[in-house]
Amino acid sequence: MMGPQSTTEAGGTGRRVWAPSGPLTLKTVSDHWKTFQNLLSDPAVKALVVDLSGVEAVDSAGLVLLKGLRDRCAAASIAYELAHVPEPFRPFFVFGGLDRPTHEKPSTTRVGENALERLGRLTMETLQDIGELIEFVGSVTVAFLPCCLHPKRFRLKEVLYYVQRSGSEAMPIVFLVSFLMGLIMAFQAAVQLRQFGANIFVADLVSLALTRELGPLMTAIILAGRSAAAFAAEIGTMKVNEEVDALTVMGFNVTEFLIMPKVNALAFSGPLLTLFANASGIFGGMVVGALGLDLTPASFLTEVVAILSLTDVVSGLAKSLAFSILVAMVGCLRGLQTEKSADSVGRMTTSAVVSSIFLIILADAVFTVLFHVFDI
Amino acid sequence: MGALKPPAEDVMIHAEGLTVGYGERPVLKDVTFTVHAGEIVTVLGGSGCGKSTLLKALIGLIRPLRGSVRIRGACITGSDREAALESIRRHIGVLFQYGALLGSLSIADNVALPLEEFTDLPRSLIADLVHFKLDTVGLADYAHFMPAELSGGMRKRAALARAMALDPEILFCDEPSAGLDPITAAELDELLLECNRALGITMVVITHELASIEAIATRCIMLDKSAQGIIAVGRPEDLKNHSADPRVRAFFHRQPSLMRPEAASVAPEG
Ligand SMILES: Nc1ncnc2c1ncn2[C@@H]1O[C@H](COP(=O)(O)OP(=O)(O)OP(=O)(O)O)[C@@H](O)[C@H]1O
Ligand SMILES: [Mg+2]
Repeated sequence: MMGPQSTTEAGGTGRRVWAPSGPLTLKTVSDHWKTFQNLLSDPAVKALVVDLSGVEAVDSAGLVLLKGLRDRCAAASIAYELAHVPEPFRPFFVFGGLDRPTHEKPSTTRVGENALERLGRLTMETLQDIGELIEFVGSVTVAFLPCCLHPKRFRLKEVLYYVQRSGSEAMPIVFLVSFLMGLIMAFQAAVQLRQFGANIFVADLVSLALTRELGPLMTAIILAGRSAAAFAAEIGTMKVNEEVDALTVMGFNVTEFLIMPKVNALAFSGPLLTLFANASGIFGGMVVGALGLDLTPASFLTEVVAILSLTDVVSGLAKSLAFSILVAMVGCLRGLQTEKSADSVGRMTTSAVVSSIFLIILADAVFTVLFHVFDI
Repeated sequence: MGALKPPAEDVMIHAEGLTVGYGERPVLKDVTFTVHAGEIVTVLGGSGCGKSTLLKALIGLIRPLRGSVRIRGACITGSDREAALESIRRHIGVLFQYGALLGSLSIADNVALPLEEFTDLPRSLIADLVHFKLDTVGLADYAHFMPAELSGGMRKRAALARAMALDPEILFCDEPSAGLDPITAAELDELLLECNRALGITMVVITHELASIEAIATRCIMLDKSAQGIIAVGRPEDLKNHSADPRVRAFFHRQPSLMRPEAASVAPEG
């Protein structure tokens, strides 16, 4: 469309005249732009005249092109002149500020960072995040006792609501996951143990693994996916709608009003769900035992009762309590960290799930070491 | 509270050398003003000049970078900030720019929330009070609606009822009539004026609406983005008719060109 022939050399003074024809619009400016780049990089050019007499239409893109050309000419000390501006374009050019010098454009790109700076920033952010988590855990702990001693501040109604949402409504999925897990574990073990005629040990394996480890862990992961995400999204949305600010200025203690009911509800329903998960998993194992291993349910259960000690069950529940509180706190913290945009709610919800699963596994490792050291 | 009892102090709000901003970047610098009991002070200024930011600093939601704020004599920016905020919170009401009703509670429960939390009133009395408050803002028939089921203007009115629930001494409003039709906006202004006259509530109202300003303001504080602070204080009619500042005149006479003197004249070269 725009060949080099469109600029003409006027005498040997380095003065060029450019007379585009046709429209100067979004569709055509990119072609013109290339011509200009060549022109501007040519050191022989000392002055540029833009003759608009042949131009039929101009839109914002054309206008910005002309402005950009003017500014670049100024930067390269090339004299620049607009000639034969068609009368109908003048109001638009005035509106677009073609008659005024361009303001210094604020930089819209953030300053780039190299790998080292990025590493540093991420490290600082992670440290700060850990700091915030610790501070948050502290503030919740401080709020805990007064909350529980004072019936009005305990907010039983809200606690029950969240027990319903995070506890009762999670039962089907907890049952399904644990039942299948017990089933699979029993089945895998059965293949090996049958060779030694040690069928009955399937009951030991399933019940011990579930109560000590997998029951609390799977329940916590399900809670992270359901409740941590729900809490983060709920509080995050409240943040976006300024509801949290409104509560604060009304004099509500946000920790007490928004966080404690959720933490208390999970602390209550988490261990109960874990018991339920244990039972479901053992039931799964029992089904495999009855159908595939010639174990009667009664003998299976007798073996389970014989092998399980109270310590196994209680240590599992203690873990579960810790995991549940962790999940609730991380969900609420991520909600409170939300900035005022919908996008931020999404990111914080994701982060709530990811962080809580990470922390659950970390806490589980700590528990394992502790239980080992104290021989539990 | 508030109502029909002469306020103990004449100076309700005093801001001194207030610099507020986000991070290290100040939005407003060195702002000083006083609001007296019984006044309706409107805060004016173009979009993005820091009106909401100033409001957040006045109600203790953001900490100023420098300077102090005293509300009813209590310094909410000093070392004993939390205690001071605690002591004033029952005496102030805030109407947020977008209402900020709790989405999980009905309108009636939203209004009842501060009553249940901060008073020992019996339930039936709270219900009557809620009905009374909703009736004043014309929403008595919508008590059991959820906030999401109301229009923007109705939500603002419900939020006003909630802000007024504890009969505050000072009411802060962020653009109460933004986005409302002229009639509803005028009704809301009328309501604010009534609350001011009948209950003696001191008000700080952020608004752009000239009509509102002229209807309700006893005094105006005008902010400016490039000045990063107050450019004029005074009664609305004085600012409108006697101000020497072109920015103030431009605002009151709706002539943006006055603020951009270089814009008009020159034609493109060539
Ligand atoms: N959360 C925030 N973080 C960083 N900067 C902010 C934040 N909120 C507002 N600002 C900046 O502060 C300045 C003032 O914003 P503010 O919301 O106070 O304006 P306003 O006067 O209330 O405008 P409007 O009339 O449009 O509501 C703006 O330049 C904005 O970019
Ligand atoms: Mg605002």
